[in-house]
Amino acid sequence: MNDVNKRPDWLTAEVLDHLHHVAYDFHVRAFGEEMARVNFLPLAERRRYVAEMVDHALRKGVKFNKLALGVTP
Amino acid sequence: MPLAYAELERFYEGLVARARSRGIQCAITSGMACVAFGVAQATKDCDLLCVPDSAGEFLKLLGEASLSGQMPQYRGHLTPPLDARWLRGGWTSHFLWNVPHLDAYLDVFGIAPRGSVPWELEVDGFYAGPHTVAEMKRTNRERDWPFATALGVKLLEAGDPRGWLHLFNYEVLIRTAEAVRCPAAMVALRPALALLAGPDERLELAVKGEIEFWNRLDQLRMKVYERAVRPFMVAVKGDPRAGDPSLTVQHAVRLEHAERLLPTSPLRQYGIDRLIAEAQAQAGRFLSSGALDWLPDAGGCFSLLVA
Repeated sequence: MNDVNKRPDWLTAEVLDHLHHVAYDFHVRAFGEEMARVNFLPLAERRRYVAEMVDHALRKGVKFNKLALGVTP
Repeated sequence: MPLAYAELERFYEGLVARARSRGIQCAITSGMACVAFGVAQATKDCDLLCVPDSAGEFLKLLGEASLSGQMPQYRGHLTPPLDARWLRGGWTSHFLWNVPHLDAYLDVFGIAPRGSVPWELEVDGFYAGPHTVAEMKRTNRERDWPFATALGVKLLEAGDPRGWLHLFNYEVLIRTAEAVRCPAAMVALRPALALLAGPDERLELAVKGEIEFWNRLDQLRMKVYERAVRPFMVAVKGDPRAGDPSLTVQHAVRLEHAERLLPTSPLRQYGIDRLIAEAQAQAGRFLSSGALDWLPDAGGCFSLLVA
């Protein structure tokens, strides 16, 4: 993604702050409070959380497997 | 000790790193990319984009890629061979490492479904860029749409105006427009965004129309491939060599049958305009009048498919 040096004029600190709030509120509504919290964690922590979640689900017998149809939705 | 997800993730990233060291352009997409971009999704399967011209080289790499002592196999009888001709036509090749307690699945495709720009131009670390990943989320699965919207906001936060193309939540659209002006170039690509200017109360209906349209378009697209794969599937299923433990033999068998029975680009054969018209007609049956008046030109999302 673009770095700060290439930031367009419209992307002011105020706009970024506004977008951050829009994003957070949407994540809470769409994914729930816990996943919204996870989505705003630093990458390493987020990946660790997802890894623990998947491992736990597999231990409990959750099936993640997708069909092999020769084409992807 | 079962293989842990973190090890699996490292394995797939290592596969990408090794491929790139051999000059193969590839990138992880879908669920694993979403985790990296801050929209966590519980998935253990890896979807990988690989430039079609490198399909042969990538297959060779897979043939050397052991995971917990297991070598990969083609998964199922519906899987086309990993070959440039079929990747260019939008097919996906499925692979499996049969690891105890955690089968590892890898899906390889050359063209990102609905991708309007070549994905290889916008790779972000191990991953396809968020614009490509977001376009791929316009599926027939309801659960994918919030991921598209969340990636859209991420793009805007990164200064990429194409984020506007992925906001499929009415409230997010309205609140975003309170602080950011939607550029005319984005309105040209997605006409429904013109309704933000009022704001116009028809926007909510237009967004519903878009989602229903993309949903129907994806269903129809999948059906075209499902119909096209049947003769090939029957031939592979009836061929005892298809289950040979060697990936090389599995590939040769699939290639032999595919060259006789599997059209390389069924969507092009079917007709993109026809597909779009049918999706519009189907969507129209479930929506109020006017909901489809603001649809984008979806033809651009199939322009990378080779005939």
